[in-house]
Amino acid sequence: MRFLLTIYGEERRLAERDDETTKAAVDAYWALDNEATAAGVFVESAGLYPTENAKTVRIRDGEQTVTDGPFAETKEQLGGFYLLECDGIEEALEWAAKVPAARTGSVEVRQVMDYEAAGFPNPAAEGARSA
Amino acid sequence: MKYVLLLLGDESGWENLSEEESQAEMEAEMAAYQEYDRELSEAGVFVAGEGLQPTSTATTMRIVGGERVLTDGPFAETKEQLGGFYVLDCKDLDGALGWAERCPASKRGSIEIRPVIDYEAMGYQQPQGSEEASR
Repeated sequence: MRFLLTIYGEERRLAERDDETTKAAVDAYWALDNEATAAGVFVESAGLYPTENAKTVRIRDGEQTVTDGPFAETKEQLGGFYLLECDGIEEALEWAAKVPAARTGSVEVRQVMDYEAAGFPNPAAEGARSA
Repeated sequence: MKYVLLLLGDESGWENLSEEESQAEMEAEMAAYQEYDRELSEAGVFVAGEGLQPTSTATTMRIVGGERVLTDGPFAETKEQLGGFYVLDCKDLDGALGWAERCPASKRGSIEIRPVIDYEAMGYQQPQGSEEASR
């Protein structure tokens, strides 16, 4: 089963880091990517630009509105995620503990929906929502 | 350029439906997403996408003094909750906004679009001998 690890932290602290600290942080995440890949659990990961780059889209009565910034102001901001294939929540939590930001921010762990198991098979042979 | 589309909506909307309504709603929703996924794949922009279990199933972890501190629920209480996401490879932000507009979630909730960092382009070379190049 798949789990999404969403990584939250105070992004203003990231902006204060010097180049050396940033490089060490990126290297730590690459090491985690490689460890998860070697363990066969890695599906996808991404680091996100700060929320000042975010846009939020809503459609109401057929009219699209685009606002600058994230959908909600929070003390910690979403900075990236891991999508992992694990045997269960315990294994997912093991990986969450290895995420460097668990020491400075928070890592939220949520199981991904298995739509096929829920009785909604995918009509397309490939390329769509992978369950 | 990769973009993450965060699909946000009010989870409680599902709780107020009868089982029959919920089933019909779910089927309509799934059909809409299957059509959307098909369009994304045909356009060659689909990288990843998942729907999430409700936030009641979330566990949030912090490491404090080397010890795991676990709390039930999401990292923050918000009016709308993260219900799923897509990673799309688009030409530019306008392309990503176009796909966000077509996503079923934009009609009742919100879609937050965030550009993904290309660490290699920023000069942070991945250590040698590793296969994974997504970060």
